[in-house]
Amino acid sequence: MPRVNRTVVLTLLIASSSVFLLFQLYYYRTYVSKQAGPHILSRTGQLTASDVQWTVKKFLALAQRFRLPMFLADTAALTLLSQDALRQRDRQVREPHCSFLCTDRPITSFAVHANLWKYDSGFLLAVEQKGFELLQLRGEDPRLASLDNLSGEDIPLHFLFRLNGYIIQVVFLYERSGNYLWHGALRLKANRDRSFAPFKLLDFGRHSGAYDRPELVLTVLDGLDIQVPRNVSHFLSEQQHSHFLECRYRDARNFLQLYPDDTSPTAMDFHRKAKSLLHLAARTLKQLNIPFWLSSGTCLGWFRQCSIISYSRDVDIGIFIADFRWDIIAAFRDAGLSLKHKFGKVEDSLELSFVSEDVKLDIFFFYEDGDIVWNGGTQAKSGRKFKYIFPRFSLCWTELLELKVRVPCETLDYVTANYGSSWSIPVRSWDWKSSPSNVQENGVWSRAEWVELIQVY
Amino acid sequence: MSYNKPPKEEEEELSDVLLSATEPPWRRAGGGRMETWTPNPRAKPFVPRQQRSLYLTWKYKLTNKRTIRRCCQAAAVLFLLITVIVNIKLILDTRRVADEDAAAREYEDAVPNMETPRRPASGRKVLDIEVYSSRSKVYMAVDGTTVLEDDMREQGRGIHVIVLNQATGHVMAKRIFDTYSPHEDEAMILFLNMVTRGRVLIFTIKDEGTFHLKDAAKNLLKSLGSQAALILSWRDMWTLVVKKGGQVYGEKHSKSPALSTWGDPVLLKTEVQLTASEEAECHWADTELNKRRKLFCSKVEGYGSICSCKDPAPIEFNPDPFPNSNVLSVPVAVIAGNRPNYLYRMLRSLLSAHGVNPQMITVFIDGYYEEPMDVVELFGLKGVQHTPISIKNARVSQHYKASLTATFNLHPEANYAIVLEEDLDVSIDFFSFLSQTVHLLDEDDSLYCISAWNDQGYEHTAEDPALLYRVESMPGLGWVLKKSLYKDELEPKWPTPEKLWDWDMWMRMPEQRKGRECIIPDVSRSYHFGIIGLNMNGYFHEVYFKKHKFNTVPNVQLKNVDGLKKDAYEVEILSLLKEAEVLDHSKNPCEDSFLPDSEGKVYVMFIKMETETDTSTWTELAKCLHVWDLDVRGNHRGMWRLFRKRNHVLVVATPISPYSVKKPASVTPIHLEPPPKEEGAPVEQK
Repeated sequence: MPRVNRTVVLTLLIASSSVFLLFQLYYYRTYVSKQAGPHILSRTGQLTASDVQWTVKKFLALAQRFRLPMFLADTAALTLLSQDALRQRDRQVREPHCSFLCTDRPITSFAVHANLWKYDSGFLLAVEQKGFELLQLRGEDPRLASLDNLSGEDIPLHFLFRLNGYIIQVVFLYERSGNYLWHGALRLKANRDRSFAPFKLLDFGRHSGAYDRPELVLTVLDGLDIQVPRNVSHFLSEQQHSHFLECRYRDARNFLQLYPDDTSPTAMDFHRKAKSLLHLAARTLKQLNIPFWLSSGTCLGWFRQCSIISYSRDVDIGIFIADFRWDIIAAFRDAGLSLKHKFGKVEDSLELSFVSEDVKLDIFFFYEDGDIVWNGGTQAKSGRKFKYIFPRFSLCWTELLELKVRVPCETLDYVTANYGSSWSIPVRSWDWKSSPSNVQENGVWSRAEWVELIQVY
Repeated sequence: MSYNKPPKEEEEELSDVLLSATEPPWRRAGGGRMETWTPNPRAKPFVPRQQRSLYLTWKYKLTNKRTIRRCCQAAAVLFLLITVIVNIKLILDTRRVADEDAAAREYEDAVPNMETPRRPASGRKVLDIEVYSSRSKVYMAVDGTTVLEDDMREQGRGIHVIVLNQATGHVMAKRIFDTYSPHEDEAMILFLNMVTRGRVLIFTIKDEGTFHLKDAAKNLLKSLGSQAALILSWRDMWTLVVKKGGQVYGEKHSKSPALSTWGDPVLLKTEVQLTASEEAECHWADTELNKRRKLFCSKVEGYGSICSCKDPAPIEFNPDPFPNSNVLSVPVAVIAGNRPNYLYRMLRSLLSAHGVNPQMITVFIDGYYEEPMDVVELFGLKGVQHTPISIKNARVSQHYKASLTATFNLHPEANYAIVLEEDLDVSIDFFSFLSQTVHLLDEDDSLYCISAWNDQGYEHTAEDPALLYRVESMPGLGWVLKKSLYKDELEPKWPTPEKLWDWDMWMRMPEQRKGRECIIPDVSRSYHFGIIGLNMNGYFHEVYFKKHKFNTVPNVQLKNVDGLKKDAYEVEILSLLKEAEVLDHSKNPCEDSFLPDSEGKVYVMFIKMETETDTSTWTELAKCLHVWDLDVRGNHRGMWRLFRKRNHVLVVATPISPYSVKKPASVTPIHLEPPPKEEGAPVEQK
């Protein structure tokens, strides 16, 4: 009797279990498959490797269908990709099928070449149908920002797709006239959902950024076809220092209202020469992989009027002494510039000047000293030394004369240190030894050193 | 999405997922992944379990040991119980998530509605309307807001019309018809017929509006509901507020007592009942295009069948592409002001041209005008507004500069830009023409631009759509600008705002042109239809632009394009001169009989031109040929090429042209003097 009961119970249970399983299948088809991912099934609420892959795959399939010119820009994933094969093998043991895309963050970032993309509302519709929630962030078109007062439609800057708590960030890269790619800062309007994504964890959007156009390769990551930058480590280091500052065109317009630009032929001529000299300098130093920034008058020109100060007569750039290499001189010579003078030594107050088409390129080398940074100056006829002191700064990208160049991020502090608080008023008679507000006497080179340290050509 | 037939990919995932969730953890590691998935009998949800219980029964029968049997049974029961619990939890979970999602979506939907209330906040459904008509001033006010005010002297004469949206009260169109002058009443009829039924029309007369108001127009006004239309006469004052195809809200009329005096000013105050927005809209299919159409049609009036409910005109054209276009990724800048109807016509023709790439088109509007922007958005194009700088010609010139700079900023990879204006039609083969010629700009340094416009290409002087010329003047009116020319030469020294120069005149100056030439077609690929404009009026247009030849042949294969390069072109010209028959110089060149009644032949004639500035003979000849005679245009080294009576005629300026060496010694160059009495009507150029 009890034996029979047990068998009956067993059969009943099996039957009910089967019914439940069938019901589950039915339920899944009708309600769940249209919108939800496997997340629902994971009891802990944690995203498993397959969930991530599933989400990313779903998104990639859509991106491919709508031909998004997209590449993987996720720093965490790319870091894994750039590291050596040994660690890769380690990970493979742990997560055999998701060794790159499954990072410890619930985010994957992609970048889209906006110029190659045709806006297609069908894509967004399809993405939403697949269950993704979308947060679109738009902003002003920086390509219209100029001394002319233009306004156009807002352009898409970032798309955030969310599925079951997993975020896919798509950042739009716009080609700009200095031959670089630009993306905007991610700023939420007051009425936007601040909890949509862990915004602090996003790779892109803290600031606007500037990048060289990366060469892409198609590869297979965790079984998915994805385009990635060919030089991953270069891309990653660019990402670290991509902070981009837009010139303050509105202020520059106001400035130019007060002090209209000189449009005489000589000023035009200087403008043209200075532009080509700056382009040449940037090209040469890029080949040597030496970062530089706009300094002194050139920096002021960018900051104040988004252009070159027509009466400044030279182009000034700064380089950290740590980046100095002797082959700079040879490289500039090869580029067709002639060395005009060389003051100081690597240990102290180094300064190089080159000339091209009667416009001077001054290269000041900057020395870090505690919480200040300084560069030196030398008066050739007397051997007197000067020191120009700046607060510490970091470097940001900007655009000047159709060129992507660096400037100190803390430009106002830099310019104020150099030109005082009245930097916004043009001064035509400028004495480099006394006019700057940050100049200090710094002794005299000893006679014996003159031959070595004061070279004028 | 269909729920019955999920895509295959999902089915696979589904079984995979079910397996991993219902199986104990140790099984999961071996579970299939989507990319490595291979069909596996274990993947089917309950087959494995069935097998397992069979196995148990079999084992039970075989061993027949009570304790083992009990343990096995207990284990099976436990397992099944867990399965059931898991399933129940799963169902609860999914239901909760689905509910949350639904709630979230509802919330999202609710947000935009809160931000943009459909109705005005006040909730009023009646508009107060005031209309004033007098000799020197008219105004219209809707709900206290002045929507029209004109008290300028010597301006705004005629009938002013405003169209209001009957649902929102927004001004949709504003027109003046100077019905004191001829033909303006026809334009008014055309306009009133285009207005959608149901709109509110407000009329008022300033100064005089009946002198050329013909019966047809009066009858139309009567059919709209006007009582006074038929008795309107000289210097009467009149206002009318009416719903098209509906009731009259009010009308006032004051007769002029005598020929020399005006009627007393009239002020009409009335109320208009707003209707529900649904009644004011058409029911077009719900597509992306129709959304744009709907938005456009709710804002503006006067664009004809684009807003017709039954059979609206298309706003997407999908013209044929042509293979291997060289200009597919060349940006197109459309320079516009506040002439939205022109812009509409222009963009229609542009978007209908073969090989157009709408992605590359940007419309630059000089000023923050709404209606041109509405037109741009109707066609789904990109519009950029520019804060006007300076006045008159300098304003246009500054707008050009800002637009060109922005074009190259928006498309940093582009080496050229196509520059168009809002009052041009472009031909069907406009892009094909440019695609076939654009490489010349790179290969020939002596070129300055490629233009779609032949200044001398009139109906009676242009013939061959496949023929190209080199000319020393820059015609503009649809042209290609090379980036390096703009960036290196033009942009830095572009005239500053205080210089009231025409940008095109400036560009034609020798300092800018530096001896370079432009490529033009014999038959223009653009047509200038603008009648109103800064340097334009009806008379001027009639004389110089109306009879311009405009190509309508698609896919024209241009002849010998590389023969347009500097040296090759000279060879070409010399061979033409060699072939050419010298015309009889004793005859009057203005007479038709100057040319023999032949067809397809090449003739040459020599005219007198001693110096660069000695243009009188050419000017007189141009006048009698009815071509451009306001300045010297369309020449190449002192020679003009045009067609007369289907023959190609070369006009060589002697002795200034190097080609005058080909003049037979016996021929005396034709010399024409301007008639002694000049008409003295200064005509502006453009």
